[in-house]
Amino acid sequence: MKTTGVTQSMCEGTTSTAEAVKPVLAPWAGGVGIGLVLIIAVALVQPIGVSTQYVVFDGVLLHTLFPDVAERSPYLADAAEGWTLETYEFAFVVGIPLGAFLAAWATRRFSTRVVPREWSLRFGESPVRRLVWSFLGGVLLLFGARFGGGCTSGHMISGVSQLAVSSLLFSAALFASAVLTARWLYGEGRRS
Amino acid sequence: MMVLLGLALGAAFGAVLQLSGASSHTKIINALRLRDWTIMKLILTAIGVGLIGVHLLDAAGAAHMMVKEVYLPGVVIAGLMFGVGFAVSGYCPGTALAAAAEGKPDAWMTILGGLLGAALFAFLMPSLETLLFSLGRLGPLTFHGLLQVPGWMIALPMSVLCFWAAMRLSAREKTSA
Repeated sequence: MKTTGVTQSMCEGTTSTAEAVKPVLAPWAGGVGIGLVLIIAVALVQPIGVSTQYVVFDGVLLHTLFPDVAERSPYLADAAEGWTLETYEFAFVVGIPLGAFLAAWATRRFSTRVVPREWSLRFGESPVRRLVWSFLGGVLLLFGARFGGGCTSGHMISGVSQLAVSSLLFSAALFASAVLTARWLYGEGRRS
Repeated sequence: MMVLLGLALGAAFGAVLQLSGASSHTKIINALRLRDWTIMKLILTAIGVGLIGVHLLDAAGAAHMMVKEVYLPGVVIAGLMFGVGFAVSGYCPGTALAAAAEGKPDAWMTILGGLLGAALFAFLMPSLETLLFSLGRLGPLTFHGLLQVPGWMIALPMSVLCFWAAMRLSAREKTSA
């Protein structure tokens, strides 16, 4: 297989405020890594998934603050079984930022930029606008993920690997709408 | 013990996402604009490896499978919504966590928005359920189940197809770069 890590056509910003965009791992190496995580998870516990844990966190938080409100939602009670975060599933999701933090630290790739490059080229440098829209994007993401029963991890990686019909449908719809939205929002992708 | 295993596997996943550029808004958006094939190749390779591994485990009776249910049109509408959120934020629920750990403030907002979206769904769920979930509920279908063949018989060719597509994208990138 041809490695392509060095042949990326993307230009890289290396100034202090810019984000280091160029990946450390070639796509095939990263893909093998993700595939292996999935295989180990399926062998030992269950396929990987992230989005349910957003509901679990909501449930446990709400149950701590207003127990009677939380208990009124059967969906919350079912997802956040026992109102606890000490589960394998939640630990997996806590592990993601932990691992990403260590990886960013080891390769000196922290970035505190508020407005990403593609966004600023199209919508300007306003940090408030970017933060508001990334919040709204998050609302749609998790509403869609919980509605569909999974996200990129649960449906696209785990589900398609299991040859699940629902996951292929979800992934196809996701991909189609994401490509159309991105091309409309950020402009069509002619190489500049 | 299970919590430690979860942390370790999650950390490996998060590290690979970070090192592969999956937590980069620029990489994701240019993948969706079809001008940078890095993320496509990453996903195709991941699925290619996953297909083989999961179905060999399954053939050996050692897999813990968990197949999600089909409900039409719910799962398609959900995917369309997710796609819009993905393009607007540039993150998915998992990569937002990785990007937030790198210090990106917009990823923090995506996580907070996600917590709100998940809560909205949790409280709308009873009314949505009758409307959309009960419609076209077909159960946890798989392609090999529908065709009544062992999973690996479909998984292996599909996996080869994923690797082939990833290599084609690489070749295409080289000629047009």
